[in-house]
Amino acid sequence: MDVVIASSSIDGGIGCWDLQTGAEQLRYKTCASPPHGLVSVGRRFLASSQLRDPSATSGHVLYWSWSKPQAEVKSFPAEPIKPLAADSEGSYIVGGGSSGDIYLWEVATGRLLKKWHAHYRAVTCLVFSEDNSLVISGSDDGCVRVWSLFLIFDDVRRQQASHLYEYSFTEHTLCVTDIIMGYGGGSAIIVSASEDRTCKVWSLSRGRLLRNIVFPSIIDAIALDPGEHVFYAGSRDGKIYIAALNAESSPSNSYGLHIIGSLSDHSKAVTCLAYSTERNLLLSGSEDGMVRVWDVKTQNIIRMFRHAKESNAQGFSR
Amino acid sequence: MWVGSYSDPSPQTLFKLPRPKTENPFKGGPKAPTRLHSLNPCTRWQVGTRVFILQRKLYSIIFLGSQTVIFSTMVRSKAPSKKQQKKGIDFKKIKRKLGRKLPPPTNATNTEIKSKAIVLPEQSVATNKEGLAVSKKGLTLKELLQQTSHHNAKVRRDALMGIKDLVLKHPAELRLHRYAVIEKLRERISDDDKVVREALYQLFKSEIFPGCAEDNQGLFISLVMTYIFNAMTNLSIDIRLMAFRFFDLVVQYHPPCFSLYAEKILQSYEDILRKNQFYLEDKGKLKSTLYGLVRCLSLLPSKKPGCQKNILGERKIHAFEPDLPTENTGFSVIIKKLKELVLVLINCFQDFIPLLNSMPQLDAQSFDCILSILQSIDIAVRFFIYGNHEESPEANPLQVTWDQTLLSGLSKKLLGVFPLYPKHHLSVKEDDRYFILNIVITEIFLHLREWICPSANVFAKFLEFMENALLGKTCSSTRSGKATWEKHVPSLLPFIPKLVSEVTTDWQSHLLEAFTKTFRDCNPESSLKLACLSMIEEMLIPRGDMHYTEASDPVALDYQTIWIRELPLLLILLGDKWPSSSQVVLHLLLRLGQFACWNSSLIWEYENTQFALCEFYSTCREGNIYYGPFMRLPRDSQELSICCLYYFSNFSTLLLKAITSCCLCPELEPYVLFRIIEVVHAAYKAGHIQFADHISFFITLLSRFKVYPENICPVKESDVQISNCGTFKSLTCMVCSCLSQMGDSSVVFRILEKAILDLISLKPQLDNACAMLRVLIMLDSKPTRLSEQSIIALSNFLPGYLMDVVHCIPEVDGNEVAVSNHVQTCRYYLLPCFFLFDRSNQLVKLFLNVMGSSLTDSSLSLESHNSTQYVTDSLSRMNITVSLLLLIYKDVKVQKIMSLFRTEIGSIMQSIASLQSSEVNMTIEERHKFQCSFERLKIVASSSPVVYIDDASISLSGA
Repeated sequence: MDVVIASSSIDGGIGCWDLQTGAEQLRYKTCASPPHGLVSVGRRFLASSQLRDPSATSGHVLYWSWSKPQAEVKSFPAEPIKPLAADSEGSYIVGGGSSGDIYLWEVATGRLLKKWHAHYRAVTCLVFSEDNSLVISGSDDGCVRVWSLFLIFDDVRRQQASHLYEYSFTEHTLCVTDIIMGYGGGSAIIVSASEDRTCKVWSLSRGRLLRNIVFPSIIDAIALDPGEHVFYAGSRDGKIYIAALNAESSPSNSYGLHIIGSLSDHSKAVTCLAYSTERNLLLSGSEDGMVRVWDVKTQNIIRMFRHAKESNAQGFSR
Repeated sequence: MWVGSYSDPSPQTLFKLPRPKTENPFKGGPKAPTRLHSLNPCTRWQVGTRVFILQRKLYSIIFLGSQTVIFSTMVRSKAPSKKQQKKGIDFKKIKRKLGRKLPPPTNATNTEIKSKAIVLPEQSVATNKEGLAVSKKGLTLKELLQQTSHHNAKVRRDALMGIKDLVLKHPAELRLHRYAVIEKLRERISDDDKVVREALYQLFKSEIFPGCAEDNQGLFISLVMTYIFNAMTNLSIDIRLMAFRFFDLVVQYHPPCFSLYAEKILQSYEDILRKNQFYLEDKGKLKSTLYGLVRCLSLLPSKKPGCQKNILGERKIHAFEPDLPTENTGFSVIIKKLKELVLVLINCFQDFIPLLNSMPQLDAQSFDCILSILQSIDIAVRFFIYGNHEESPEANPLQVTWDQTLLSGLSKKLLGVFPLYPKHHLSVKEDDRYFILNIVITEIFLHLREWICPSANVFAKFLEFMENALLGKTCSSTRSGKATWEKHVPSLLPFIPKLVSEVTTDWQSHLLEAFTKTFRDCNPESSLKLACLSMIEEMLIPRGDMHYTEASDPVALDYQTIWIRELPLLLILLGDKWPSSSQVVLHLLLRLGQFACWNSSLIWEYENTQFALCEFYSTCREGNIYYGPFMRLPRDSQELSICCLYYFSNFSTLLLKAITSCCLCPELEPYVLFRIIEVVHAAYKAGHIQFADHISFFITLLSRFKVYPENICPVKESDVQISNCGTFKSLTCMVCSCLSQMGDSSVVFRILEKAILDLISLKPQLDNACAMLRVLIMLDSKPTRLSEQSIIALSNFLPGYLMDVVHCIPEVDGNEVAVSNHVQTCRYYLLPCFFLFDRSNQLVKLFLNVMGSSLTDSSLSLESHNSTQYVTDSLSRMNITVSLLLLIYKDVKVQKIMSLFRTEIGSIMQSIASLQSSEVNMTIEERHKFQCSFERLKIVASSSPVVYIDDASISLSGA
């Protein structure tokens, strides 16, 4: 069963729907999460970081099992955690702190295995690579950094290395809002979106900028087409722009270079995107509290889920 | 009939030609000849002539344009010579006595004829050069090339000049024959004559290399190089020196050629520099050779490959990239050769030292030579240390192959003589020359520092020089001295960050003090300032290494705060005249904001820059607004400065005010305006801006934004450029969406309600009022959250507002498109009112009451009811009321609401009717028109509203 889960910054719990039938499943209670703060850990349970008062000194992460609406486990990390990510097997969870530290927990024991100073400002998004060997983090200072977990866990080499990261991309001028990683292991591409209205495509093998795409508005969420022909960029003006990666794009189009077209239903700002590879569907969460399911071929909405009055949903399929 | 050349000239063959052709040849011909000559039929004829045969005579006619020329040769003479001889006896020979001469008669005419031969080379048909490219002297390229190998040097020189001349006039000629030309000309590289070589050099320099720049240069270059190498080994020293100049020229136009022949070239340089007996004599020639060497060596890879290729727009992401050999390949083999060369160069330098001491003054030529020698050594040293030598068998060339002879040679012979100073102090110019030389030596030393492990004494000597150099003490204080200083000090700066972190605290503060002084004193637009800025960036912003960020030492911190404080001032000083420098400063500021780590005093300093930055945006003095450089910078700099705003963790009200006035400036690009709003809102979201400040930022924008032209009219295509109406609409839209994201809308509404109503009661422009009403309805809900007081205030404001809208948007007659356009435009302004009506019936009632009373009382109390800006007299007021009501009734939902207030509407109708009857100064046409619309209104108002099931007929279509 493919399900869509969504949470928002306003306490509306975690909505859960069957993607095929559209039926709403269990709603998990009491969850107000920041962007990128909801994660399904190895498809076994859900974890979500919680928004805290600015004055709070500790973080708050809640965990739900699929069968119960109440949170089963609560944890209180040393500082407010915003983004969370889990590797594909669900054995580790990484969280980004507001001071710029990254925390790595082992799921089986709940121990904090590693903590390292990754950025000068708050971490805003975290992504695991396909083979779980790399973690890519984006930060409020506009920096995108690639971390190799091999190096992080290798104490000897860590001492010798002049820096921990594999790459540090500093070309963004404002806060990084989303990162996705392509397929292909070491030679994959990384796409990052930022509040400076650009999305940048990086090469992991060469460690340099491949493409810079300027959008008409700030992009808050990106999703990759499985063939890497295009990527989808959800913007604050409510449109989902389609930007070319390998696809041909004519230099003269209305939105700008490399932007092929857009999906739009005049909604409010798009806050998150997810791509269901099996069904070839694009899911978008919007500020108006709706999760829309798009058929990317016909560019039509085929289903809508209402999550809350307002939402910055994190939808994805399982 | 066209006949080719006859190979058989016998008349018999000719008679065998077909008959019809011989009968009457002139009829068929285009033109009859005017004169006929008898011709010898045995003559050979050229191809292309027309031939007629007539009674054993052969005539040929050549057609040249329209003229017919009769061409004949070998006129048959009938024994003329014998007869002439007989005539000779007609004159009798007069015998005269020897030695006696009759004096010439006084009236004698001088019959002597003097003549000179006139050569007209172009007249001959055989050498017709029409259509061929020729030089001034009428020679073709081929002839000129032939002449280049003439035995006479003057002819050769002239031929070269001729080629230059020809190529200048016919550039295509060179492109066609470039290989032929180069194959011929290269022979002259080792020409014996100096003048010829010089002419060839000039020809290569000015015409041939620039002309052949774009095509396949590899072959071209290889054609020349063989001869250059040949010339480099010539016995004559002059030819050899000239060959180096030729090579220099080749390198200028085709830099990769050095890497191809590097080893051979270096060997040649070494050979020529070893001949030290000559260069002390002829420094001019040595100078040009050394220049070439510096140029070649500067092609060596001496920096870490950090260059970023520009991202091409159309490149495919996963495009295949062939593993091309990088430019560095092939250089590692020359390390050995280069070392030998460096040793020779050091010897060269040493030979100059006694010369310096003995000479009264350091002349320009020896200075240039020494400088080139030092620069060559510097580049070679950099190549040894930083160059990429992956291919070399040794892992690190320095440890293994950095042999002792070289190191000791360098440290003894070169660094040992430091500092160079004038023995006989004569001129300030000399001071500057020595200063430049010392700077280059210092550079070499600083590169080598880690390898030669200098004693503390030597190190101190260099540090002292650096400090003095930065302070500008060693340089003359004249204008040229200052220029020299600005030009050469930047080369020392890159060493400072590393030095500062390694030297003792004492020296550290000395160096930083000197550096800070340099940074402050130099011209804001100079390259020195830019170099200082990049060093500051390096010292302020840690490069990747996270370990030592917190451990900033107190000495450096003092200077760091000074630098940060200097930045905004510099930005204002730069103004809009040097946008590239401003860009650099802004970039540094942004980096500071991003990376100034928490809890350090740097972040505090960064925060404080915002007060100084206010002036960069705008300042308000005595009610006048003075815009800063921000407004006039190019867009990317503007964007960068906006991004800096995001990183102030405590955004001051002062700065926000300055930015707001920039936003309100009509010259600001809409794009930048929207970026400012986006970034300010992002900063608010990140908690950097106070709630109250943020709200007032938005409200100020909406209420103060000047929309022009002031009269609203339906937007035509052509008006888009002049009007900023569209910008304001999108601005309103953006502010609405930002406000809706700010939190619970009821709370935001409570806060904004009073402020907006206060502003509305001041009767702003229609667009601003509309924008504020839109904000109200966006935050409001159904039923309304407006307080009693606000409803009353609104009911007083709305009639005037609506009437102004109807007045300002003139009704159009004509096609459907124009009418619907008009309705659309009106609707944008009316829609907020409709929402208000929908949410509060009380408001509708009050509104209608005020409308009615304004009609009846208008004549009595115009002043007190002066709720409108434009409509004054009662007649137009009446007209407008009718059209307004008609517009209101056009909306189905509002029509439904209005139907609840029949009594109020009725009283308005009545007062209109009574007014109309009392109105006297109305023309018949006006009256008729008014009557029509009034009747229409009556019908609409009396008819019961059509009930639509669709309840959501009102939609914020414009929003």
